[in-house]
Parts: sequence; C-alpha cells; structure tokens
Amino acid sequence: MTPASFVRLTALLVLAAFIAMPQVFAFLFEPLIAPGAPAIYNQGSLLVLTLQHLRTVCLATMVSTVLAVALGIFVTRPAGAEFLPLSRSLVNIGQTFPPIAVLAIAVPLVGFGEKPTFIALFLYGLLPIFENTLTGLTQVPSPTLEAARGMGMNARQRLVQVELPLALPVILAGIRLSVIISLGTATIGSTVAAKGLGEVIIAGLQSNNIAFVLQGGLVVALLAVLIHDGLVLVERVAARRLGGSLNEVS
Amino acid sequence: MIEIDRLTKRYGATLVVDDVSFAVEEGTLAVVVGTSGAGKSTLLRMINRLVEPSAGRVLIDGEDTRAIPEDELRHRIGYVIQGYGLFPHRNVADNIATVPRLLRWDSKKVAQRVEELLDLFQLEPAEFAHKFPHELSGGQQQRVGVARALAARPALLLMDEPFGALDAVIRSKAQDDLLAIQRRLGTTIVLVTHDMNEAFRLGDRIAVMDQARLLQYATPAELLMRPADDFVERLVGSAERPFRLLSLIRVQEALEPGHAEGEPIAASESLHDALSRLLWTGRKALPVADASGALIGQVSVGGILQRGRPLP
Repeated sequence: MTPASFVRLTALLVLAAFIAMPQVFAFLFEPLIAPGAPAIYNQGSLLVLTLQHLRTVCLATMVSTVLAVALGIFVTRPAGAEFLPLSRSLVNIGQTFPPIAVLAIAVPLVGFGEKPTFIALFLYGLLPIFENTLTGLTQVPSPTLEAARGMGMNARQRLVQVELPLALPVILAGIRLSVIISLGTATIGSTVAAKGLGEVIIAGLQSNNIAFVLQGGLVVALLAVLIHDGLVLVERVAARRLGGSLNEVS
Repeated sequence: MIEIDRLTKRYGATLVVDDVSFAVEEGTLAVVVGTSGAGKSTLLRMINRLVEPSAGRVLIDGEDTRAIPEDELRHRIGYVIQGYGLFPHRNVADNIATVPRLLRWDSKKVAQRVEELLDLFQLEPAEFAHKFPHELSGGQQQRVGVARALAARPALLLMDEPFGALDAVIRSKAQDDLLAIQRRLGTTIVLVTHDMNEAFRLGDRIAVMDQARLLQYATPAELLMRPADDFVERLVGSAERPFRLLSLIRVQEALEPGHAEGEPIAASESLHDALSRLLWTGRKALPVADASGALIGQVSVGGILQRGRPLP
C-alpha cells in the first residue's frame, strides 16, 4: 500500500468513526469550549445531517450534469452551433450569480428548506460541466471523426461510439469540480433551513461554540477531499484506455 | 468497375475538381497523383460521398452512388486516411470489427473475420488483438487501418496518402504488402498520393491531376513514353525516366539465351534491379533463374539498355 492511499484510508476511517460515534472524540474538542458548554454537536445526528448534505449535492450535480452535457452535445452539433454563444452566457450567469444571492431570490419563490439550496447548487454547478463537455467533444481528433464518417457511422453512432467515450475523462473532471464546489457551497443552504452540515457550523456561530464550527467544517472538508480523490480514480480508469493522453486535463 | 463521370466540385467560385472522368477496372489499382491542392483528396472523397459533387456522377458496377443511402454506400467502400484515424478507446480487434458490427454481423462471424485479417496482416492475434492503438508502432497502426477498412469485404478500397506517415524503410514494405494483399483479394483500389515513386510502384494506371483538372490517365509506361504535356513530363521527371521505365519491365521480358557467370537474378525482378546489380558487380551479363531456381538464360547490359527508351 502506498503512503498516499494509506493516508486516504485512515482519513476515511476517522471520518466514518466520527460521524457514527462523535461522543468518542469529545476529549479532542473539550479544550476549545467554555466550561459547561457541549463539546459535541447535540442538536441532531451528525450522520443524518451528513447524509442529507450529500443527498442535496448529489441531486443538484446530477441535474446539472444531465442539463450541461445535453446542452454541450447540442451546441457541438451542426444544428445547434448557433446557440453556442447564447448557452455560454446563460451558463456563465449561473456561475457569476453568488449562491447566497440565488438563495435570497429563491426563498420568496419556492419557500424555505432544501429547494432554494438545490437551485443555487444546480446553477453554480452547470458551468464546469458544460465547459468541460465542450472541451471534451471538440478535442476529439479530426482523423478519428473522418474515419468514423468514412466507415458509414451515422451522426448518432459517431456521438455514442466515438465522441462521448473520448470526451468522458474531461467530462468527468468537470463533474468532479462541480461536486467539490457544491459540497462547500451547500453549507450556506442551512441559512435558509436546508438540512445539512451547515447547521452545525451555524449553531456553533450562534452559541459562540468553536467546537461546533470546527466539527461542521472538518466533516465537509474531509468529505470534499475524499470524494475528490475517489473521482480522480474513476477518471484515471477512463483515461487509461486512451493511453493516458488525457491525464493532464484535470 | 468504378466509373467517374464528369465529376466536378465547386466551393463558391473556386473549382476544386473540374470535370474529371476516368474508369477503374475491377481488381486493379489506380493511383491519383498530383501536387498538393490539386484536388485529388476531394476527388477521392466524392467517391464515398464524404463530399457531395457539384456536378457529375460516380458509378460502381453501373450503379449510381447517389441512389444508395450515404451510410450504406460507405459500409461497402473501405476507406483509409493518412494518420489512419484509429479509435483510441478501442483495442485492435474492436477497431477492425467496426464496420461488421455496424452491419450487425453475429459476434462469432465478427471474431472469425478479425482473426483472419490479423493473420493476413501478420499481426499475431494473441499478441495484438487486445492492444490499444497507442501501444502500436506506426507500421502496425497502418496495417490495422487497412485491415479495418477491409473488414466487411468491400469491393472497393479508397486510400488517401496511406503511407504518408511511415518512414522510408517501413513504407516500402507496406507498399509491397498492399500489392500482395490486393492481388490475393482482388480488391479494386483507388489511392491518392503526391509521391511519384509510389505511384509508379503501385499503380496499374495513374491519373495525374493539376489545378483541379485531370491531365492524363494512363498506364505507367505510357505516362513515361507519351506524357500528355509539359507538366506531366516534369512530374514524371525527365532524368529519372529511363530508370522508371526499366523498373516497370520484368527480367523475363529481356531474357536472352546463353549462360553467364555470377549469382543468378530471378526472372520476376525488374530490369532496374538487374542493371543495378550489373553496374555494381562490373559484369556484362547475369544468369537468370525462374521461380524454382533453375537457370533459364541470361540478361545483358545491351538487352537492358535497349528497353530503357521508347521503342521506335
């Protein structure tokens, strides 16, 4: 086992243990708190909050992926080429609008809870996936496409059998970026009553309990690092078949 | 038989291919040669309709290609390009299986065909079937490219600078292999190149193009002895002409009775090879052997020189 994978495995085990049995780690946080205050978050289960956090991020990223990849495919077809600038600006707006502003606008429209968070994450996640889909699809070598056409593949066969598989590692990198951004951004969803790890941080800020803030922050950070690593592994597998030529795109 | 009938391609006001007609006989190899920008690739791509002609038509065995749906037409025509365009995400076997799978052959038949082709192209199936294109040398990639184009047994093979990316030694071997395979399968081939040596080596007939027009379509010997105009003559290379002519003639045709000293030359080799051996060894004549190795006569310097110019 390489040192890097040993560190990752340890981090994963520590994270799982902390989420499942936070009380065991209470001694680590006691020096940080005022006497009499709780050392471990006590207003709900960390495990449940973590799962809800992940669920929001997963759903938002899935919807972003479907829309961004579909849009990326559409604007790289001859029929959709003229929509490329328009789609680019729309997707860019999603990125430039701060998520907190999206929340402020979305709450009066859809109410408190997970929905506004979901909308903010979805909009924020579109750009990296869309841009990477474009890059992936346009960097397919032209002799390869010419050969595919010359052998009588129709447009759909070329897309499914040649273009998408060759663009996959780059698209995956975009999804990874989007997931990591969303994991962090989702914490602010708790300001509008979405269930998630942001709750722990906000509770800590309100009661001036540094231990809570640290717990929420550390769990999100560890999740982000581990998920990042896991997705990089998936990308490597996808890129290995292409001779590692796409490894540097990340 | 492929008939190209008054084929024309215009992009705006620019003529890329101007009223070109010629026919390629069944089982022969026609080479389209010319300077870059002469329109040869566009001409080739109009045969499988990757480029739609502005005017004119292409007949394959009398059937107008416009009457056949594009994809179906291309399933029936092999296509090899410079750089080969192998699919980097598919291994050698899957690359070769592309067209048979598009045609929905059953998997047993596909596997059988892939193995057959790997054998034909001297790629050991156990070693190469599961390699990816980036693991192959240039020469191996070229062979996979041709094997893939031949997979569905097309009657016609189009090749656009298929040897352009190979170094000289491998190129010469690849050209020999192509000729051997073409003789064996009887495939009709139209090959585009800018290399005159390649054209003379491979072509049963050569079409010379310049500035969108077809200047001459003739056998190599005719092209040497009766070039249609100055451009063809320059392209053929006047200084090289006698040697090119000699390389088109077999030793068999200059065979004389008698016996000479030295190592025998095969009757199937060219007079160019024979002359080169004579020059190098300083002899006046060489013994000639047939395919079985038996001596059947001799070939002399005088006999060779007579054939190095147009007969009166």
